[in-house]
Amino acid sequence: MAKWNYFLRRLLLSIPVLILGTTVAFLIIRAGPIDPAAAILGPSGDPTEYEQLRESLGLNDPLWDQYLDYMWNLFTFNLGQSWVISPGDGAYELIASYAPRTLWLGFWSILIPLFIGIPLGFYAGLNPNTLSDYFASFGGIVWRAMPNFWLAIILVSVLSQSEKLFGFEWATFLVETNIVTPPPLGFLGDPLSLITAPGETWPVVLGATKQILPAALVLGSASMGNEMRIGRTAVLETVNSKYVETARAKGMSRRNIVWKHIFRNAMIPLVPVITGEAFLLIGGSVLVEVVFGINGIGYLFFQSAIQGDLPLVSSLLFVFILTLVVLNIIQDLLYTVLDPRVGFEDQ
Amino acid sequence: MSRTPEPHPATASADETMLAVENLQTVFHTDKETVRAVEGITFEVREGETVGIVGESGSGKSVTARSIMGLVDAPGRIGDDSSIEFRGRELTGMTENEYREVRGSGIAMVFQDPLTSLNPVYTVGNQIKETLRVHQGIRGDAADEAAIDLLESVSIPDARRRLDEYPHQFSGGMRQRVVIAMALACDPELLICDEPTTALDVTIQAQILELLQELQEERNLSIIFITHDMGVIAEISDWVNVMYAGEIAESGPVGEIFENPAHPYTEGLLKSIPGRFPDETYLRTIDGDVPTPTESPTDCRFHPRCPKKFDACEEVHPAPVDVESGRGGHQAACLLYPDGLTREAAVKEHERQMEDSDTEADDE
Repeated sequence: MAKWNYFLRRLLLSIPVLILGTTVAFLIIRAGPIDPAAAILGPSGDPTEYEQLRESLGLNDPLWDQYLDYMWNLFTFNLGQSWVISPGDGAYELIASYAPRTLWLGFWSILIPLFIGIPLGFYAGLNPNTLSDYFASFGGIVWRAMPNFWLAIILVSVLSQSEKLFGFEWATFLVETNIVTPPPLGFLGDPLSLITAPGETWPVVLGATKQILPAALVLGSASMGNEMRIGRTAVLETVNSKYVETARAKGMSRRNIVWKHIFRNAMIPLVPVITGEAFLLIGGSVLVEVVFGINGIGYLFFQSAIQGDLPLVSSLLFVFILTLVVLNIIQDLLYTVLDPRVGFEDQ
Repeated sequence: MSRTPEPHPATASADETMLAVENLQTVFHTDKETVRAVEGITFEVREGETVGIVGESGSGKSVTARSIMGLVDAPGRIGDDSSIEFRGRELTGMTENEYREVRGSGIAMVFQDPLTSLNPVYTVGNQIKETLRVHQGIRGDAADEAAIDLLESVSIPDARRRLDEYPHQFSGGMRQRVVIAMALACDPELLICDEPTTALDVTIQAQILELLQELQEERNLSIIFITHDMGVIAEISDWVNVMYAGEIAESGPVGEIFENPAHPYTEGLLKSIPGRFPDETYLRTIDGDVPTPTESPTDCRFHPRCPKKFDACEEVHPAPVDVESGRGGHQAACLLYPDGLTREAAVKEHERQMEDSDTEADDE
């Protein structure tokens, strides 16, 4: 099958991408002004101690050796230990304790645009040049134009004064939560408790969801606008295509035409938009995490980078690159499933 | 939604009128202008007959087809005085749901470009079977068998295997066969072919024309065949309507049109068939372009390009009249006719006919 050949080829191609990506990351980290020995000792460090530390950390080895070491460690998933942020703790433990919050945030900020942006865009595309289309399209542009850092701050201040502004208090709405703190995510480590102890666990899930929603809305705002606009264009293009006219001429019902003939074709241009943004959310969540006080992986990465925590920075970068490659593979998989023409040209 | 296939009424005589289009007007209202794409055309299609509609690009052929199929969307509108009657049922003013029943099961359409008229993400079998399901209520294995039969009836080899293939795995000619098979899946009585051979190369063109003629005989289909190719028209049609700028310039039996063309436009079209004058270096053409009609006509729309025009052509809108008085069938909308009358008398006759039709329209 041509399409699965294509997919396999894309899968293999991701290996050189991974190697190149980590190499570039290595060069950027090592060639930059980060001096981990100075960072560990602090400004009052003693010069002989400093030299000893450099020696013991392997920073005086030839760059070539360091590179091979680095690559070997990463590709055997030996991610090492933190030097500065939390000395002695393994990178795995740190990632495991920070990542769930980012994943929870990312999950919702992908879900919200997916289930609001795309349906809105499709609706606007199916009813072009009506009042609701103008409303949705204009809303999409405005929504897309609001920068994350600004929207985040405004949202935090509006929510914390919601009682004065709208007469209801967000903090006590449904379940009592804080506006700016990490959400409680203990249930992710014990998903069975959702069934075994539903009475205790579900309120926590609700609270965690409620707490993450404003941040997810901010993080997903640009994607939501994008997906709306592109969804609208894709639908408009498909609606005016010959095969939709043919389907109409065959006497197909409007419901069949929309859900069968238009929907799947209009999804094809949206695939790269969705997967591309999924990565942006992971990499770009630093700002939102800082404003909403969510100690996620973006926050961890930012801290380790400015504090010169070399092993942690490179491990996190490796994780980011890996995520990107995996998302690309998912994108190719979606293409392969959605569009039978994939890989056909190469035959 | 399912509908048992109706057998073609065996009692229908060959002369029975299947589709009657009367005074069809299709107008597109845009912010900038109003385009009167089809301006009061009248013609009919009889049982088992092939009616050709021929004309240049922009003469309103495709809009006519879409108007009959009810596929004219806003900003397009069909005029209030227009009437399209199919088997005695008035089609204009039908709701979308009523029209859906006519589409496919009564009238089916084959579009110009076979490369884009199939949905690229579904298999050919899927697209034929959905038609069978909607119009004939056939599902499952029976639908598979019916779809294979249809593909075989349009001479696609190895039909069983090809059922599971996607449109991009078919060549252009094969795709047009699939589109025709899909149209036949509705078991229609009238097939509208909108330039079905234009995107295909000449040998494939001939095959498709032959296929259409075979199918017509087997299934007693009536066909409206739209093309700009006079050669194709000569081969396939029984009756020809020549369209120009939204109007029918001339209509008649195919032999009459080709042997005794009456309207100067038809003459021009016939002269511009390649190979007609083998000694000449250049192909004969009709100078100028088809105008985009934005207002109701008050003159002959062809007069700026007409080699035989005279003063009255700019003032009188010609009505379709019999070319030779007393002999029905062959009509031309040209002030030079009817043949027997003097020029002044002919112009008077046209003026009188246009006034008649105007008052008629007002009375309604």
